[in-house]
Amino acid sequence: MPRPGQVVLHAVLILLSLVMVAPFVWMVLTSLKTSEEVLAYPPTLLPSVWDWANYPEALEWAPFGTYFRNSLVIAVSHTVINVVIAAMAGYALARVEFRGRSLLMLLVLAAMMIPTFSKIVPQYLIAKTMPFFGGNDFLGRGGSGWLDSWWGLIVPGAVTPLAIFLFRQFYLSLPRELEEAARMDGLSEFGIFARVMTPLMKPAIATVALITFENSWNNFVWPLIVTRSNDLRVIQVGLAAFRETDRVLWEYLMAGTVLATLPMIVLFLFTQRYFVQGFATAGIK
Amino acid sequence: MSTATAPTAARARPPAPRARYRRFGHERRRTAYLMLAPALVHLVWWIGIPTVATFVLAVTHYDILAGTMTWAGLDNFVAVLSNPTWWTAVWHTLVYTFFTVPVAMAIAVVIAALLNAKLRARAWYRTAIFMPHITATVAIALVWAWMYEPNVGVINGVLSWFGIRGPAWAADPTWAMTSVILMSIWKGIGLKMVIYLAALQNIPEELYEAAEIDGASAVRRFVSITLPLLGPATFFVFIISLIDSFQVFEQFYVLTPRGGPANATTVMTYEIYESAFQRFDMSTASAQSVVLFAFLLVLTIVGRRITGRDDAS
Repeated sequence: MPRPGQVVLHAVLILLSLVMVAPFVWMVLTSLKTSEEVLAYPPTLLPSVWDWANYPEALEWAPFGTYFRNSLVIAVSHTVINVVIAAMAGYALARVEFRGRSLLMLLVLAAMMIPTFSKIVPQYLIAKTMPFFGGNDFLGRGGSGWLDSWWGLIVPGAVTPLAIFLFRQFYLSLPRELEEAARMDGLSEFGIFARVMTPLMKPAIATVALITFENSWNNFVWPLIVTRSNDLRVIQVGLAAFRETDRVLWEYLMAGTVLATLPMIVLFLFTQRYFVQGFATAGIK
Repeated sequence: MSTATAPTAARARPPAPRARYRRFGHERRRTAYLMLAPALVHLVWWIGIPTVATFVLAVTHYDILAGTMTWAGLDNFVAVLSNPTWWTAVWHTLVYTFFTVPVAMAIAVVIAALLNAKLRARAWYRTAIFMPHITATVAIALVWAWMYEPNVGVINGVLSWFGIRGPAWAADPTWAMTSVILMSIWKGIGLKMVIYLAALQNIPEELYEAAEIDGASAVRRFVSITLPLLGPATFFVFIISLIDSFQVFEQFYVLTPRGGPANATTVMTYEIYESAFQRFDMSTASAQSVVLFAFLLVLTIVGRRITGRDDAS
């Protein structure tokens, strides 16, 4: 027999959950309505005709497929590069004592705190003046460098201080006896990292990989400023561009938005334990 | 194949631990430097140098076409600080922060406390509330733009059930800021809730049991036990929310394009974006970035003072 307090509690939480989920539901419902129904007032709740053809039509209306592919290539590259490079750095910072280690750790923490907009202008200039790329001479003059290229989309955001920090926290939690035993067995330091410690870190790797993928998939400002050509647009930039067209075809735009949110939602639903762990670790230290 | 298992020879003759350590210490450090190198090069190249360069660009006149740089001293700052649009942007950023950060934090801490109870379907609630955080702001803002649509949008549709004629929301100068704020609160609750939830797990159950025996009500327990013990988490949430809030960009860019109707929603980040990537005036943009940076620094320090937590950064 539930107590009245419990009933009220559940009522409040159910209402709240509905408010949080409603925009997602509305997005999906809109993407399945006919263009007449989308413009009907007052709005209908469920589509009277479930217009699945909106999806193939949306892909013809805008190159959402290309945008989707670009986002996927970038997010996967970022995830792989970040996991490998940040794991090595996190291991070194957590388990090897060397001079300047705490200073380096401080720098990583500081780098985490630097606001995007406090570094974005020089980042753009560095990408633009990359020597020998995009028609640049050896001083980086004359061409467009890494602008509007896969290099510019992938390399600058490939390693994040957050990932280094998270890996360090996870490596710190492994017992010392483990590496000592491995060392007694004559394993090299890199061997200890690659064969003993890291295989124990699968949850940590999952956490960092998912957070990296999420950040990369959802990133907007950097791809917005470094790309110009339609072929290299990522899905978030592509979507935003259609908002500005004179007549927005909302049913198609919502179909594109479903494509842009679906991978993250599916990934999240199946792996939310790791997401939550990651945010909590970064949060509490 | 596994090298983790010992070759017997190595185990048969263990050397004196100290000498062994020193020898390995050398190898370890060398390996550590090598393992750090790629990450360090990347961080220095893409975060370190750009951060310093922002300050350098801010005191120069940089011509992006010619690639020339001349000393400007404080000219750029004088120009930025005497520009009324910039001050409007500063004001809008402050208003946005004032309304999003405390409100979302207050909602988040209450939800976290509710969800901390042993509750059926608690994972479902948490999933629903956290979902907006992991989805792209741009995509989310588009959905809200559609819901805010003045003529056929669902929000005005629902309002009309109650006989209310809704405003044009994002397209109306008086409501544009409110529109962005509402969406941002909605999106921001999830992350704050998760951090609070993690902090709540560290509060010992006995405290609540003791209080309950003493006859303290649920509200009383929340105010007297939960809130004080959440101090460090609150500080952390406050600081990251401030930093996020001052850097807000996507929802303004998508919901209220080009600074909003009648510049009603131009924020600092939008002005920086305009200066740098629409007008290609990198020096002005850098000066604006430095001002934004200064704001964040001051806020972080003040935040520390207020909450009195130097240990929790």
